[in-house]
Amino acid sequence: MTARSASGVPRYVRPRPDRVLGLRAPAWTVLIAVALVGLVELLARSGAVSGTELVPVSEMLAGIAGLLVDPEFLVQNLLWTVGLIAVSFALATVLGVGLAYTMWRARWWRRAAQPYLNVYYAVPTFALYPILVVLFGTGAVPIVLLAVAFSSVVIAASALTGFGSVAPSVNKLAASLRLRPGQYLRRVLLPSAAPDIAAGMKLGFVYALIGVLATEFILATRGLGQFISHAYITFDAEEMYAGILFVCLFALGANLGLSALLNRFDWRRS
Amino acid sequence: MTSATRRVPGVAAPRPRPALRRLLEPAVAPLLLLVAFLLVWHVAAVALDSTVFPTPLEAAATLVADLGSSAYLAAVAETLLVLLGSYALAVVIGSLLGFLIGLSTFWSDVLSPLIYAVYSIPKITLYPLFLVFLGLGDVGRIGFAFLHGVIPMLLIVLGATASVDRTHLKLAASLRLTTPQLVRRIVVPSIVPSAVTGLRLAFGLTFLGLLIAELLGGSAGLGGELLRNVQLVRMGNIVGEVILITIIALVPTVLLLRLEHRATARFAGRATDAAPAL
Repeated sequence: MTARSASGVPRYVRPRPDRVLGLRAPAWTVLIAVALVGLVELLARSGAVSGTELVPVSEMLAGIAGLLVDPEFLVQNLLWTVGLIAVSFALATVLGVGLAYTMWRARWWRRAAQPYLNVYYAVPTFALYPILVVLFGTGAVPIVLLAVAFSSVVIAASALTGFGSVAPSVNKLAASLRLRPGQYLRRVLLPSAAPDIAAGMKLGFVYALIGVLATEFILATRGLGQFISHAYITFDAEEMYAGILFVCLFALGANLGLSALLNRFDWRRS
Repeated sequence: MTSATRRVPGVAAPRPRPALRRLLEPAVAPLLLLVAFLLVWHVAAVALDSTVFPTPLEAAATLVADLGSSAYLAAVAETLLVLLGSYALAVVIGSLLGFLIGLSTFWSDVLSPLIYAVYSIPKITLYPLFLVFLGLGDVGRIGFAFLHGVIPMLLIVLGATASVDRTHLKLAASLRLTTPQLVRRIVVPSIVPSAVTGLRLAFGLTFLGLLIAELLGGSAGLGGELLRNVQLVRMGNIVGEVILITIIALVPTVLLLRLEHRATARFAGRATDAAPAL
């Protein structure tokens, strides 16, 4: 028989505890994160894992501090990558919302394209990268193209969901007011779909980030991804770990910042 | 009458005219789009004087020729085998862990932010770590592909398990079900639709991870072949291989989509709100 308290209520239906061992959930999250960092630090410093394989976290952070004051790193790698991500993300948003709008307006186009949208992320889009490099060289163009291709579809799918969520009564009101399509888009459709578009944009940003960094890692002459790749190839463990940790922190920070910004458009969260 | 009736935005148009009716049948429109795409490709390739870029027919012919070579077939078989292995591993471990963590709301709240944080890191930047710790061979490849697939599966199953309807839990309590009975009769059927969605998403991501690992590692499997073709700039072979990769990716995905529809219809579970449009 299952464990029961004196009241006879089984454990699986009891309310969620507020504290476990005196700590609330967020405190446990921080504790586990700190413990993992401490474990890495310990493994590196004690020599259990060799210095060419693992670097203490404190040295990783020192490496990051050193990189952030190095002008060559800032311009060649950081600004370049951030610029590519920003451009890709902006283009992907415009393209994604535009594609969703065309699909929403034209029924036959939607029926034609919807299945491809559904299975799009099953296909490894990165397989196209060699083709793009052969066609456009190794500059910014193939990177931006691939990142846009990778992230616009999730934005389009979310926007399409959002467009479909306008209440029928609102649509009838728009018809009775004889709104032109442009007015309808601006005043009814986009604001109504804003929460879904915001959710799609958060995911699209993650994908744009991954797209830019992955393509830079595979083949590029500059950028954060190339920095890490180069450090690995030259067996520079400290630079490599500094780069990896920096990218992780940057990705987390950028995601949190974008979420905070986009939540202001999410009128469903009050 | 129809011309005088104003079209209400968002409301479906009235009965379609017979001539357009066939366009609205489900499979026809996507196929037409595919044909149109191939035509545009062909015209563009011819216009670019296809020395650099092959036409669809040339690419298909190159692919067929490649598939005749035993070395190429061996590479394809190897990739498929490794893909199946890492996919199976990712799906089993991901769903088990997600299930175990999801059973407790408290520990889901503790661990979800950490797992989401790992999910949002571009895993390709962690690729050197796999090479350093797991080596250049198969284990590194499997590990990298595994990581790509396990996290979304874990997150989806975690979300589904944690959001089992509380009313069902109370029903189980009032029927005095033990925890194993609860799991078997209520929890597992509730999470099946989400789990099948997770299966589909994990497949695409595992394949992506494996291809990237092979492309970067450069010696084995389909990715290795792709890298060789890139280095020799054999565009026909590259495009043919991309077509092959697309087919390998799409066939299981379509099958898993069908499974997903069946599972959702049968178990009438909630739509996948565990993880939005991944």
